[in-house]
Amino acid sequence: MTGGPALPPTLSALAPQQPRRSVVKRFFPWRIWSRIIYGAAGVIGGILFLLELGYLKVYRLSFALGALHSLIQGFYLSLEVVAVILPIGFGLGFLIGWARTTRFVILRGFGSVYVDFFRSMPPIALIFFFALITGVELRTSNINPYTKEQITMWMGVVALAFHTGAYQAEIVRAGILSVPSGQTDAADALGISRLTSMFLVVLPQAFRLSLPALGNEFSSSIKDTSLLNVIGWAELGGISLALASNSITYAHYLQGSLVVWIEAAFLYFVVTYIATRLVRGIEDLYKVPGLEVAR
Amino acid sequence: MSSIRVRGVRKSFGDLEVLRGVDVDVNPGEVLCIVGPSGSGKSTLLRCINLLVTPDEGEVYLDSVALTDPRIRPEWVRQQIGMVFQQFNLFTHLTVKKNVMLALRHVKHIPRANAERIAVEQLTRVGLADKLNAYPAQLSGGQQQRVAIARALAMDPKAILFDEPTSALDPESIHEVLAVMTRLGHEGMTMAVVTHEMGFAKEVADRVVFFDAGRVVEEGSPEEIFERAGHERTQAFMKKILR
Repeated sequence: MTGGPALPPTLSALAPQQPRRSVVKRFFPWRIWSRIIYGAAGVIGGILFLLELGYLKVYRLSFALGALHSLIQGFYLSLEVVAVILPIGFGLGFLIGWARTTRFVILRGFGSVYVDFFRSMPPIALIFFFALITGVELRTSNINPYTKEQITMWMGVVALAFHTGAYQAEIVRAGILSVPSGQTDAADALGISRLTSMFLVVLPQAFRLSLPALGNEFSSSIKDTSLLNVIGWAELGGISLALASNSITYAHYLQGSLVVWIEAAFLYFVVTYIATRLVRGIEDLYKVPGLEVAR
Repeated sequence: MSSIRVRGVRKSFGDLEVLRGVDVDVNPGEVLCIVGPSGSGKSTLLRCINLLVTPDEGEVYLDSVALTDPRIRPEWVRQQIGMVFQQFNLFTHLTVKKNVMLALRHVKHIPRANAERIAVEQLTRVGLADKLNAYPAQLSGGQQQRVAIARALAMDPKAILFDEPTSALDPESIHEVLAVMTRLGHEGMTMAVVTHEMGFAKEVADRVVFFDAGRVVEEGSPEEIFERAGHERTQAFMKKILR
């Protein structure tokens, strides 16, 4: 309160109180708390993991390390696949999300059909669908079998890109629609063309507003790659499955499987965590007063 | 100096007839104030002048050019006529300077250095030379509205339309925005101002138009409209707002 007349005692109870930081917050700011929680989770996870190794007996440690080694090979392949899915998915999402906000009925209709179709298919069905159609179409062609197989398998990857594209289209559309109409009014009133105003006024704001939701969708599409083993991909998910079902020959079946899946989960966590941190970093990089998304 | 002539403009949104045949003139270098109750179509009239809204019927002329001619590009019209909005509508993601530069760069295709010089010049003119790199959210309402005026001025318009420029402001900000507008008026800018600021209208306006239910009810000098209104509807409105 600056310079206002003193309030009578009965009213001063209603006046805004000085915000008082709680003792907990003063001594343990959230930044430190989050580290403590992460650290604790890591320690507990590690202890559980070691306990499981204990069940496996120490001489089975070589099994756990060997499994990790194979899983990391699959992890690289997963990264490769993700590096294809994210750009295609984002490109599709951007174009179709934009198409759904235009005045052109044909574009809007096409966008709606696309989103309705790909959003209502389970990703596993889409992978089969794309791969099988490609396989059937290529059956009679005379390209060599190895190339045929490669094309078929990559079509499964494209299926996932189309799937996440549908979700990202909705995110982009929501972002575009959440830019107030006053912004385009102002651009129109200055004689700025529709296309220029889209690229220089609407999209830069829509992009900032959609980043958190996009990060969410990125992490979910990264994990969807674990379905690709159904058409023969030896990516992280595929290798985990194979190792887990083979583990009976090396160790007790249940414990062996558990070790494999814990290691796989850790690797998925690493890539997803990095991706979400990157998106958060981009958010901070393009932060503008008045356009922050509440955290 | 340019003039705007509006002839027989009609506009409906669905069943709602917003403008029912409007004739208005803004003479060269003149400040015209448009007053009237909310929902009477004042804002729609302004938007018809720079074709943000396309009139259903009637013509709008800028000097001798019929803006409503289908061969005329709306973008061209809007380059000639500036507009200032009630809610400022500054581009949220751009700094003050870049707000002013955007249309210079991408509509008039002026090189960056020149556009920057014009932006600084216009922002200095409205007293914001120290806020060049601030973002709109960091400014008060009055400062934002002055940026919006500078943004319109930078395009070197032949006329400026003001759509209730002070209605979203606190009393102190109202004063600083009106001061800028008053100076513009005295400098001979052709202005059409939708406003409830009777003080401004009395001091700066050359003519006042009273608008109700999509029609011009009465027009005349500020004294005529505010003190000796001939029409019953105008008298009732003035009695309420002047108290």
